[in-house]
Amino acid sequence: MAFTQFVVNGLLIGAIFAGVAVGFALIWGVVDIINLAHGDMVMLGGYTSYWALSLITGNAEGSPLLFLATIPAAIAVLYVVGYVLQRTLVSRVIGTDIFLTLLVTFGISIAIQQLAIQAWSANPRSIQVGFADPSINAAGLVIPKMKLVAFVGALVLTAALYLFLQKTRTGRAIRAVSQNPEAAALVGIDVEHTRAVTFGISSAIAGGVGAFIATILNIQPQMGLIYTLKSFVIVVFGGVGSIPGALAGGLLLGTVEELTAGFVSSQWTLAVSFTLLIVLLVVKPNGLFGQEAER
Amino acid sequence: MSTGESDSGEGLLRSIVPPTQVERVFDFCDAHAWKLLLAMVVVGALPPLLGLQQGYYMTVISEMYLFAILALSWDIVGGQTGYPSFGNMAFFGIGGYTTAILVKDFAVAFPVAMIAAGLLAVAFAAVIGAAVLRLRGHYFAIATLGVLLAAQQVSRIIDITGGASGKILLDVPPGTVFYYLFFGVLVAEMAVVYYLSNTRFGFILNAIRDDEEKATAMGFNTAYHKTAAWMLAALFTGLAGGGYSLFNTFIDPQTAYNGAWNVELIAMALLGGSGTVAGPVIGAFGLHTVIEYVETAFVGWQLVMLGLVVIVTVIEFPEGFVGTLREYAGEMEYYKRGGMAAVEDEEVSSDE
Repeated sequence: MAFTQFVVNGLLIGAIFAGVAVGFALIWGVVDIINLAHGDMVMLGGYTSYWALSLITGNAEGSPLLFLATIPAAIAVLYVVGYVLQRTLVSRVIGTDIFLTLLVTFGISIAIQQLAIQAWSANPRSIQVGFADPSINAAGLVIPKMKLVAFVGALVLTAALYLFLQKTRTGRAIRAVSQNPEAAALVGIDVEHTRAVTFGISSAIAGGVGAFIATILNIQPQMGLIYTLKSFVIVVFGGVGSIPGALAGGLLLGTVEELTAGFVSSQWTLAVSFTLLIVLLVVKPNGLFGQEAER
Repeated sequence: MSTGESDSGEGLLRSIVPPTQVERVFDFCDAHAWKLLLAMVVVGALPPLLGLQQGYYMTVISEMYLFAILALSWDIVGGQTGYPSFGNMAFFGIGGYTTAILVKDFAVAFPVAMIAAGLLAVAFAAVIGAAVLRLRGHYFAIATLGVLLAAQQVSRIIDITGGASGKILLDVPPGTVFYYLFFGVLVAEMAVVYYLSNTRFGFILNAIRDDEEKATAMGFNTAYHKTAAWMLAALFTGLAGGGYSLFNTFIDPQTAYNGAWNVELIAMALLGGSGTVAGPVIGAFGLHTVIEYVETAFVGWQLVMLGLVVIVTVIEFPEGFVGTLREYAGEMEYYKRGGMAAVEDEEVSSDE
């Protein structure tokens, strides 16, 4: 029974990892950079929701509906942040040496981290949602309500992104740029703008998921790097630019981590995920759903 | 992009420091590299002899040497071979813990413990290198970052490292010892890197950076060469870490496997000019001075400043100080030839 419980926990948390990772996979696939500041977008989203709620209720507590109402705020703010970062900084190093792009995004990451510490202090915070207790008990399993909400929220955001890419004109432009920027430019797509929109959407999804994270885990300024690295593990597993791959990878990583925490010790989860990363990279660098090999 | 000043500013610069003069300095340095290194040894040996035995500046200069070692080590793989490692601090941490544990728990003499630190880092590099050096580009960068974080996490869990609280080392040699130690390692490393950059070994490393497939096709054993370079980088980084834990009188997972330092040392190599011997050293001295100033003047904002410095450097001077100067000196070639050859041909290809 313990095993089933750990797997359920893993799937619940894994959907959140997947929600963060889809944006990371999208930028990697379309703009061809590794955004080391991606996790910081999660953090900023969490804080946006936290402050929006505090502004309305006076403290970071509220009803479920009130909390859900702050999600669009997190999404909108992070869309702007992502768009501006791409337009002003990242676009200037695209196409150069890959590790110049890594350094620029890492520079953005540490600058955002410390600005966040200055603005909100290093103390962990969380959003309290009124109906969280008690947890649901079903078939011998314990399921915290907010984890279920976050699970559904992350899945909805991921599905929305998928539909957006498949159905809308902008989504098709994004896919065109990801496949061939030169050809996309030839047929009249504004490649620079499309890349910035991609960056914005990716950050927006991360921000939305960050708001859900604030309800079940703590948020604090330095949380970002771990989410970036987990996203990397997930994308390596699922394949660059693949949204179904990111979803499968996220669920798997969450399950592996919860099983490690449950049967070994929670201290070992990070070491296990990074070891998994290295093993995966060596054994199957294209990912399970991957298309292209290197870069 | 790298010559970002206005026309009038460049004209002024050109009249004060003509490119021919810069070119002459480069020629002089190339011709007298060994003598310059000897001169550096003499100058470097002076401060403690002149009575500067202890205190703030002594510590700062020792740290500068330390960072120069780290930046130059990173450059052996990152700059010369073109594998952008984000995990070099793993070797530093392993070296640091090795000396700390040997000196404190096993009462091993410090010099022996430090050599052990270097060797253990090399052994670790050989094992890890077999896995990660098969990866390229983004994958290599993140895999090495993963190695660093996994090493940090393990040191936080196991007992022999003192767990999350680390180890305090009180019985340490005086500051002058570390001054000469870091200085000695730096000079030795500069000599090795300079020597290698004029040998077949060094040329093969650069060939791997420029086009690994072609280098393999030409019959070079690229796997052997990049692993050897990686182990060499680990040796010097491990030695530096081995010295640092005692110099710092304290070691814990956060200081031993410092992710921010890992970015700093890459920024140093880049700022100075990667792929050269002098570049990373100049970059380390320059950036460490800036960071030291920022840390005292803008407490709590140093990472913001570091982030901005890294971003601006990477965007405006991707070639670094030495590279930009060399480009500037190279302009003369252009005028001499009088041809239409593009001075900055790489800029054309960088934009689509």
